[in-house]
Amino acid sequence: MPSSIPASVTAELPAAQGRRKSAILRSLLRDRYATVSVIFLLIVLGCAIVGPTLLAEQARALNLKGRNAAPFSLDAGWMFILGGDALGRSLLARIVVASQNTILISATAVLFSVLVGGILGLIAGYRGGWVGDVLLRLADAIMTLPSMLLAMIVLFVFEPGVTNVILVLAVSRIPIFMRTVRAEVLELKQRMFVVAARATGASTSRILLRHIAPMVLPTIINLAALEMAFVMLVESGLSFLGIGIQPPEVTWGLMVADGRNYLGSAWWLAFWPGLAIMLTAMSLNLLTNWLRVVTDPVERWRLETEAR
Amino acid sequence: MRHIILALLACASPALAGPETEVKIVLPAGPDRLDPCEMPRSVIGRIIKQNVVETLVELNYADATLMPRLATSWTQDSPTEWTFKLREGVTFHDGAPFDAAAVIAAMERTIDPALTCITRTKFFDGVDITATAVDPLTVKFTTAQPSPILPTLLAQMAISSPNTPLGVYTNEPIGTGPYRFVEWVQGQDVTLERSGEYWGEEPVITKATYVWRSESSVVAAMVATNEADLAFSIAPQDATDPDMDKVYPNSDSAMFRLSVDVPPLNDIRVRRAINLAIDRTAFLGTILSEEATEATQQVGPNVFGWNDSLTPWEYDPDEAMRLLAEAKADGVPVDTEMRLIGRPAMFANSNEFVQAVGEMLRAVGLNVNMETLEMSQWLEVANKPFDPARKPNIFLTMHDNNSGDAAFTVYFKYHSNGRQSELHNPELDALIEKAATLSGDEREAAYNEVFRMIYQDIVSDVPLFHMVNYMRIGPRIDFTPTIANAVELQLAKLQLKSS
Amino acid sequence: MGSFIFKRSFQSILSLIFLVIVVFFLARMTGSPAMLYLPPEATQDQIDAYNALHGFDDPLIVQFGSFITGVFQGDFGNSLQYSRPALDMVLAAFPTTLALAAVTMPLVLLISIVTGALAAYHPGGVFDRLASLISLIGASMPNFWVAIVGVLVFAVTLNVLPTSGTGTWQHWVLPVAVLVLRPAGVLVQVMRTSMMTALSSVYVKAAKAKGVKARAIIFVHALRNSLLPVITVASDQAAGIVNGAVIVETVFGFPGIGKLMIDSVLMRDFAVIQAAILVTALAVFLINIIVDISYAFVDPRIRHS
Repeated sequence: MPSSIPASVTAELPAAQGRRKSAILRSLLRDRYATVSVIFLLIVLGCAIVGPTLLAEQARALNLKGRNAAPFSLDAGWMFILGGDALGRSLLARIVVASQNTILISATAVLFSVLVGGILGLIAGYRGGWVGDVLLRLADAIMTLPSMLLAMIVLFVFEPGVTNVILVLAVSRIPIFMRTVRAEVLELKQRMFVVAARATGASTSRILLRHIAPMVLPTIINLAALEMAFVMLVESGLSFLGIGIQPPEVTWGLMVADGRNYLGSAWWLAFWPGLAIMLTAMSLNLLTNWLRVVTDPVERWRLETEAR
Repeated sequence: MRHIILALLACASPALAGPETEVKIVLPAGPDRLDPCEMPRSVIGRIIKQNVVETLVELNYADATLMPRLATSWTQDSPTEWTFKLREGVTFHDGAPFDAAAVIAAMERTIDPALTCITRTKFFDGVDITATAVDPLTVKFTTAQPSPILPTLLAQMAISSPNTPLGVYTNEPIGTGPYRFVEWVQGQDVTLERSGEYWGEEPVITKATYVWRSESSVVAAMVATNEADLAFSIAPQDATDPDMDKVYPNSDSAMFRLSVDVPPLNDIRVRRAINLAIDRTAFLGTILSEEATEATQQVGPNVFGWNDSLTPWEYDPDEAMRLLAEAKADGVPVDTEMRLIGRPAMFANSNEFVQAVGEMLRAVGLNVNMETLEMSQWLEVANKPFDPARKPNIFLTMHDNNSGDAAFTVYFKYHSNGRQSELHNPELDALIEKAATLSGDEREAAYNEVFRMIYQDIVSDVPLFHMVNYMRIGPRIDFTPTIANAVELQLAKLQLKSS
Repeated sequence: MGSFIFKRSFQSILSLIFLVIVVFFLARMTGSPAMLYLPPEATQDQIDAYNALHGFDDPLIVQFGSFITGVFQGDFGNSLQYSRPALDMVLAAFPTTLALAAVTMPLVLLISIVTGALAAYHPGGVFDRLASLISLIGASMPNFWVAIVGVLVFAVTLNVLPTSGTGTWQHWVLPVAVLVLRPAGVLVQVMRTSMMTALSSVYVKAAKAKGVKARAIIFVHALRNSLLPVITVASDQAAGIVNGAVIVETVFGFPGIGKLMIDSVLMRDFAVIQAAILVTALAVFLINIIVDISYAFVDPRIRHS
């Protein structure tokens, strides 16, 4: 429940709000890794938003005679600084254009599984009983099906368009969020502050959203950041098997899968999009590590003291 | 750090191929069964054909002529009767004698409807053939209809041991060939061993192990590191060593089939425009091997009936655009979205090929949507019954005619009743039916005319290329691949380099 | 504990049945196998004959009935592709994948718990940064890419490992390395986060202040507390090894169940899909039960609730 962070924060510390904002910004700037990550992610986001409008044609322009052009050469213009692909298209343009689908797919899929998995996990952990059992066994059933296989069958039945790829990836990742949240909740609900809240007659939803969810969040955000990368990789794996996103649509995962045929002769085809996946994954992670510090109730306390 | 890893790993020198006279061969895919009656499928034929099981007649793939193998001679007695003289003194690996009774048993097993053997379904369905023994070494085949090419059909039929079980598939082929089947470890390898009792000349290679890998770069690496001696096919970009990498025609011809009944593809100008818009030569030496050749028809020069007088389409995008404008002016809906359909790994780099063609068609103003279908979905589109509400399709197909005669192509690709035919042209149907009954020069002339009509008058498809494969051959082996290697690899033809 | 395991197994069987039903019908929605097994020239009569031979012309519910009847007699039907009993094929392939997983998971746990815990002890330190960097790279590399680059580097360029195949222990180095990479990368992160949360809780901080001896005890205590999410994620990663195995088995030509499953979906070999799913599902359920038991072991509060 990402929306509950600001809610709980403002509720607990209304006076410190203004100071806190600048404190967060300052702490972000102080963490060099987090700063660089934010800048990189903003660039990726920018590419995802305007890239396809700006470079769609360059990303499709063929040049068979000049295929697999080597990187770091400006002979063919700066668009070919990262080299050309197997059809002589600019790798730079393609990576920029592909960022849109890549981010769209992974972010939507992860968001979906965080929301659904998170809520189900809260219920399963807090309520327990037969509801929890049913939810857990359903999660087991989904987890048991290798996600590649599930994706394959579903994409053979339905069309391998962007929406279906997102849905398949999201559904196959729900169990991990659900189980993680449940495990944390099981531990948390015995803690003093929850027991206290319950004793004062707080409603279940209030306890879940105000007391337990914020404590679960750090783990979930961290996991979500890792899952973003994983979703990109599974998507790539689907392309490796020949299903997944269809050309002329393009994602980084598809580019890596296509480029693997040239690993022996033109490494850059698979390297740059792979690097893009890796850098995005790392940035997300460094950012969430920093975020964990500012959202963690205990760590936050330290931050507040410093801000004062 | 690197030194430590190297030191650690150095003690583990990788396994090399076995002793001098043993070979390891890498296939692109493993067999699913090893039944002799499934031999025409290349995934099986490449292992057992003429190695374990032999045929009465051997097809010379280069010029579609026939050579004696288990039969020493044959004569046509009447339009429906053929007599074959059998080789003397041949025995199967299980000790059974090779004679007329064995041929009849093999024939009966092949056409047994309890098995869905490709030899029957592809070559003998509707032939209604019976075999009788004239004497122990003479067999007479009788067909219900005249069968001018029966020896060509028999070049596809494996003669397996009479002890092969009837009505069920076998995975232990027993034949008369120079090699005996030893073992098939599921998902891992197949082993053959020299039988030592071959009727012909003893081959040099004593043992062959077949393994399979799907990634071309790994396959190429296996031969490069001497883990294997021969790889059937590697992608053009991995064929970087002229000493090891030999090109051979693989008998596949690629083309786009156009749905000629669906607007705007029902207009011949649009079909011509598509042909003119594709720069075929740009693919040679880039995405495809430079040894592949431009095609004008569905069969290559190795097939009887190939028309040598047709010239490939020129690349002329301006003319294509002019034709499209003209069609548009006449009310043809040239802007309709068309499906450009491919399949993963149809040939090396086929994905890139389809994408490039899509861009070329877009460049002349056509509205194409690329799609990659997996095998089962692809077949739904490929075969009749066609979806009556289908979009105009530009459909990539690969066709291999390994049987040497155009009859196996034209009926099912172009006749109204052909399973993959978009055409229903009475004139063409009549010509196709007539050609099948002819023989010799008349037959050749008739098929030449069929291909000319399709190419020049009807323009029902976009002929692309006759494809080639790269075979990677390790330094120990002396071998030059040919078009025959599309469906077989006779181990007896492998020689060792004297070193 | 005994009744817990019993209840758990009973529930697992229910979800196994649910899974089998879903897979049975879902697989059949992907289309008929007939065209894949007949030559393109096949006539409609041949197709009809083929469907009749394999019972594909029966209504789905009848096919399901005969499948279930078969399962209770230990018969999963024959593979269309290989004309062999589907269960035999699956059982022949399963040990390879199981062995891959059995070598991979302990390595993953060892690497990630040690690295993650140490990284969490001094967050932001050199070791933490380095561990984070390497684990993130590991977790975000496409495994087929690593596999092929591995072959090119270690087999072709350095010539110290075989390219592919099975046989000696050297053949297992690259596949296992590829499989370890991602789960280890993920688990280092999970362990690190979880350990940091455990170490930052107030009572640990209080204990930390008391001195070195208490600190060691607390470290062990925090380690135990932080294992919960690690076990959860590890069990997911263990189940996910089949995914990695699909790729590893494809690239390295390992005769395992991952490749068998993918091929059987491609070839609409329903009997093999069903047998393979059932066998892997059993294995994963077993893992899950072990995980639940280990929760109870790690955290006594769960045992009592």
